[in-house]
Amino acid sequence: MNVTLKYEGYHRPGNVDQALYVLTKYGDKALVIAGGTDVLPQRPGRNNTGIGKHLVDIAHMGLDYIKEEKDGIHIGAAATINSVGAFPLLSKPSYKVLSEAVACHSTQTIRNRATIGGNLCNASPCADLALPLFALDARLVIKGPKRERQIPIQDFYIGANLSALDNNEILVEICIPFCEQKAGTSFLKLGRQHTAIDMALVNVATFFTMNGQCCDTVRIALGSVGPVPFRAKKAESILAGKLPDKENIQRAAKAAAEASAPLDDIRATAAYRKKMVVILVRQALENSFRRYEA
Amino acid sequence: MKKINIKLTVNGEQHEMAVAPAERLVDVLRDRLGLTGTKEGCGEGECGACTINMNGQAVLSCLILAVQADGATILTIEGLQNGINLHPLQTAFLSESAVQCGYCTPGMIMAGHALIEQDRNPDETKVKTCLANNLCRCTGYEQPVKAVLKAAREMRRETDA
Repeated sequence: MNVTLKYEGYHRPGNVDQALYVLTKYGDKALVIAGGTDVLPQRPGRNNTGIGKHLVDIAHMGLDYIKEEKDGIHIGAAATINSVGAFPLLSKPSYKVLSEAVACHSTQTIRNRATIGGNLCNASPCADLALPLFALDARLVIKGPKRERQIPIQDFYIGANLSALDNNEILVEICIPFCEQKAGTSFLKLGRQHTAIDMALVNVATFFTMNGQCCDTVRIALGSVGPVPFRAKKAESILAGKLPDKENIQRAAKAAAEASAPLDDIRATAAYRKKMVVILVRQALENSFRRYEA
Repeated sequence: MKKINIKLTVNGEQHEMAVAPAERLVDVLRDRLGLTGTKEGCGEGECGACTINMNGQAVLSCLILAVQADGATILTIEGLQNGINLHPLQTAFLSESAVQCGYCTPGMIMAGHALIEQDRNPDETKVKTCLANNLCRCTGYEQPVKAVLKAAREMRRETDA
């Protein structure tokens, strides 16, 4: 019997209102759980034995859907990562960036339980699923006891392991707007492990549309190379309105690396990560372009 | 700390019990139901020794609380064989010498089982992807991959016959 976990209580709300009630009641003591693959592992340096905490299990509130509506793809926050990856529309070139990120995320066995909302709300700087959602300009639907708000994913990450969610709020849905134009996208991840602790050294997501011969909308999202995942907007602007030739792509990739601020740690040096940003951004842009043309 | 009543169907048998919020599924299977075929290795989702089948999918029982599994249908390594007849996967792991110390074997077999139930004709890449969450420190990986492919062949033959 595992003796390190010490939760005080477990609550299984049947709908969002009930969940918000429990969250408000327990305040700092409440701990939201869905799949559990981020909440339960005991790791050095993470004080998460759960002493005094009340688990709020949001996996039974009907938030495990993924569906197509008039304005886009709507994904419930408690949809498992594998169910997202299996959604047929996401294999199209415009959205492939998301199904590619799913395939790079941990392992099949973990993805059967891990949820898309969990990956986002854990607010890791290297969250694989955040980047494709930056690239696809997704918005997040957040519910609190007083109001529902929608924010672009760009505003969701406010610090290392810190999201814009208040204590008594829940992420309920992720909306990916339909892409009216033809688009090419790509996700690339550099990492050493493909298991539960699968933190990327660098991960990159790109989105790309064209107007005639020139780039139109370009989005480049970077992970693991700063306190939060972010869009490399200067790099994007280098390509906008320009030819997607080798030289421009390389300039954009270099600008992306300049915008990154990685750390030295046990897994890689900052200098190495920066060099890899150049290569991954270039490759992801080339992939996106190829898929756009196909 | 309030205990919570849960129901589980494990290898076809129904169980009802009161569990603490922090009790994990692997603890309930091993310590309460005596199903020690499911192993705990790392306890953090790395090694896959605790892999079981829950509601038709391979999952890690060290990363699921018992309360989260309330109402679930669970299959463990003990529920795989049919009477005295081993499951084709068990037979294949034996004949391919895919077992040395055996600690990772139940998890490997349960991961392979979930794959074969969905796809009777998986290619080698699919098998490798499926076993990617299962670490072995002695036999290695070639034999388990071969064993899963062999079991899939066996099961195709049984279906065709």
